[in-house]
Amino acid sequence: MSDHSKQPGGVTRRGLFRTLGAATLVAGCVKQDPGSENPERSEAPELDDALGLTPAPLEFVLDGQPVQAEVEARTTLLELLRLDLDRTGTKVVCDRGACGACMVLVDGVPRNSCMMLAHDVGGSEVTTVAGLAEGEQLSALQLAFIEHDALQCGFCTSGMLISSTALLREGGPLTRGQVEDAIAGNLCRCGTYPHVVDAVLAVANGEGGRRQTELLQVKKGGA
Amino acid sequence: MAKTKLSLGYGPKLETVPVELPPGEPRPWDANDQLEVVGEPVPRIDGQLKVSGAARYTHDVALEDMLHAAVLRSPYPCATIKRVEVKAALDQPGVEAAIAVAAVGDKLIFAGQDVAAVAAARPEQARAALASIVVEYAPAPFVVGTRAAMRDGAPLVHETAVEERRTGADEPGAEKATGELSGNIRPGRSQKRGDAKRALNKAALTFEATYETQCHTHSSLETHGVMVRWDSEDAATVWASTQSIFSVRDEFAAIFGLPPAKVRVITHFLGGGFGSKFGANASGTAIAKIAGELARATNKPVKLMLTRHEEHLCTGNRPDSIQTVKLGATATPGAQAKITAIHVQAHGSAGVGTGAGVGRNASAVYTKVPDVLVESADVFTHAGPAVAFRAPGHPQGAFAMESALDELARQLELDPIDLRLAHDGHPVRRWQLELGRERFNWDARRQAAADMRARGTRVRRGVGCAVSIWGDFSGTEARVSVEIDRKGGVVVKNGVQDIGGGIGTIMAQVAAEVLARPVDQIRVEIGDSELGPGVGSGGSKTTASITPAVRNAAEAAKAELAQIAAEALEASSPSKLRWTNEGVSLGRRSLTWAELCERIEGEAIVAVGTRARTYGHYPKSFPGFPTPEIAGAQFAEVEIDTWTGEVRCTELLAVHDCGRVMNEMTVRSQINGGIALGVGYALMEERVMDPSLGVVLNPNLDQYKPCGAKDLPEISIVLTEVLSGNNNTGAYGIGEPATIPTAAAIANAVGDALGVHVRSLPITPAKILDALERGRQTSTEGDT
Repeated sequence: MSDHSKQPGGVTRRGLFRTLGAATLVAGCVKQDPGSENPERSEAPELDDALGLTPAPLEFVLDGQPVQAEVEARTTLLELLRLDLDRTGTKVVCDRGACGACMVLVDGVPRNSCMMLAHDVGGSEVTTVAGLAEGEQLSALQLAFIEHDALQCGFCTSGMLISSTALLREGGPLTRGQVEDAIAGNLCRCGTYPHVVDAVLAVANGEGGRRQTELLQVKKGGA
Repeated sequence: MAKTKLSLGYGPKLETVPVELPPGEPRPWDANDQLEVVGEPVPRIDGQLKVSGAARYTHDVALEDMLHAAVLRSPYPCATIKRVEVKAALDQPGVEAAIAVAAVGDKLIFAGQDVAAVAAARPEQARAALASIVVEYAPAPFVVGTRAAMRDGAPLVHETAVEERRTGADEPGAEKATGELSGNIRPGRSQKRGDAKRALNKAALTFEATYETQCHTHSSLETHGVMVRWDSEDAATVWASTQSIFSVRDEFAAIFGLPPAKVRVITHFLGGGFGSKFGANASGTAIAKIAGELARATNKPVKLMLTRHEEHLCTGNRPDSIQTVKLGATATPGAQAKITAIHVQAHGSAGVGTGAGVGRNASAVYTKVPDVLVESADVFTHAGPAVAFRAPGHPQGAFAMESALDELARQLELDPIDLRLAHDGHPVRRWQLELGRERFNWDARRQAAADMRARGTRVRRGVGCAVSIWGDFSGTEARVSVEIDRKGGVVVKNGVQDIGGGIGTIMAQVAAEVLARPVDQIRVEIGDSELGPGVGSGGSKTTASITPAVRNAAEAAKAELAQIAAEALEASSPSKLRWTNEGVSLGRRSLTWAELCERIEGEAIVAVGTRARTYGHYPKSFPGFPTPEIAGAQFAEVEIDTWTGEVRCTELLAVHDCGRVMNEMTVRSQINGGIALGVGYALMEERVMDPSLGVVLNPNLDQYKPCGAKDLPEISIVLTEVLSGNNNTGAYGIGEPATIPTAAAIANAVGDALGVHVRSLPITPAKILDALERGRQTSTEGDT
């Protein structure tokens, strides 16, 4: 299914529509955006199995549960998750694969869901941040994030957890550099990186100790 | 007023200081108090919601029937509108309303300004429908470069006086600009001591250099956005991504002519703000007005979330700056050299907005310099407006002033720390400089840097330091309630929002401390205007404004409980009671917490607390304020490849004062964040405008590069606790101080590594290579 969603030459449909949309906006003309044509009024191509402008069936596994949906070809995985399936733990920040906030695991591989069409995950297993816990029990990494204060505003947190979960699943002890490499695509504007690295290392290497600040308190009685 | 004596101080210095307390104020926690919960690294109480994806930010709120809005923005930096027709958009799929925001005849003055808007069932439908809106523009000449805008004959951005847009994130005390607009330049904001121009003329030795900083975007991960739902003709609920719930309420009410009480604002979770998220609208786009009008037109809730591209164009930025720094000094050699005068002339472009202040390093840190003049002027350009950004004015001012000091020190062959110590009158900052010198292994590293320079090695290292000044700007407007119910539940409520600092956790810690309850037994409700007046998270004042009110509310609730306990245990006075995590006791008689709370009459005890005005500022007040001055110093090491110009900050030591530490772990997070922002500012980030098209060339995070995990140095943090007697918890802020000196310290480290200063941010490889070339030319000239 995913093969159908690509234009020849590696241009994605979404990318193509974006380009056209931007061009018409800049020109300020009345030309209709091909992406916005009403499905009812447009004539769908008479091709079996082809993905056009009408919604097509999509099946995949989301956080362990099978999902069946009718999805337009242009819809990104991120839009499907957030708008149609209410998986809002997956965040939209840049919408062009530059920040990692929308990361999900697709068959265990961390991917920017804004850079995939929904139909790309047909038949796949998709795990969002909401699927990292076992029921009510948070994963060891999620607990370590809380313990090490690996989050401030929390908007990058889901993506950080997805990238680090994929790294931890490779197994074995880790170095700081390996963790930094794994989260190099995840931007955090609050600057929480050192604590994220601490949290991941604590899970990988069993280092429970928290980073300490040197606190020079007022000495009673003077000195 | 009640007089009392407090044990106040910092580090090795402890003094008994008389303080006058307002009526009813509990004795402030001082050096004699051993606190159990406050100060501890308590994990944030909403951590579980954030790591599980369950936390609902404004972006995530979904209401039945809600529509999504999109805004058509001007593609031209300067144009007059000749025609706007939105009707065709109404025929587009999913669209339920379309409105013109700009009218025929309106002059648009930056690319990205609001023109029209639509609301549709899905966001992609709303965005697509914008293409059907017909707009005719008459483009006009424009100017986007700061220097270009300063030239005679440059196209004028504003033809009449400019309205100052102030928000709660502006630095308190920054004077309002009052100068006359001349061309695109409007002088304003000066700080003055003595007569700097005269002193410079008389100085035996003078130094002069011009420093430049770039335009820096906030880039909060959650873009600006609101959802508006009209609950009746004259009442609305607004979900807003804001760092100041009550400023959203007031501005929304003003836009639609409503009493503020008829507007409810909710911000349960907030994806960053950094100064840009005050008010219902953003600085360059009327998001609340647009969403409110579309919601009214359709009778449905309307959500308007900006895209990342829009966020870069019209929601604010840190102005760029061009600063000429002149220093006058005595001719006395070596350590005896004294700076006699500082004169800073700053021009800063805040686009179509204002805000070219350059902070207070020059005027208020170096108090031992007798003659100081800091002048600044706004330069208007056809670009998106600036707005307060984490320590407005300070990082750019610190970069210029601290760089000039280092360059002078190099000229005088002085240690830069010694030069600072000789002119800084703040005892805590002086202590911090000495601490940093020792902890950072300063002398040995400077020697190593000098050796590498002398040998001309390919890879060089260098160290630099810079300092910060900030004030405790806490407000008294918060009303915090503490409720204790008959089942023993404790709820702390306030309408403050959590920008990411973790205020809810600290509120729980303070209540837990007073009531001797475990932190996990305290429920905190924040993020809703119905929970009682809060404060805006700007000026690094949230913790210091809210925690004293929490303590007062908790103390009042406890006093009621103590009356009940004293009666039950037959105590002669509530002061004889002993409180523990289990409950309350008197000798061998005791009541568990549950038994005690069962005796509460009615549903619950409800106590409301406020924060008194700041009543102490040991050991030094912020200039012009009766509140403490907050000191900080940072020390950076850089490594530079002199063949490629590649530069990395490898190590950073941050030494900061934040009053009494409320939570050792969350304060460290905030300092890490200030440093990360400063590293990006020093080495990477820059909004680039195309001078010929007048548009932003890098309006997304793939081309605008914030600091990532691999760009950060190894960070060490030393907190020099200061008990100032300012309020009953002793807290003050850290968010802004933590980012002020970072870029300046890195620039000074680069200067140390190269032996020549890079006078422009960001310090890119190209600028490093230029500086090296300049250094080579100077030394060749010296040889001949």
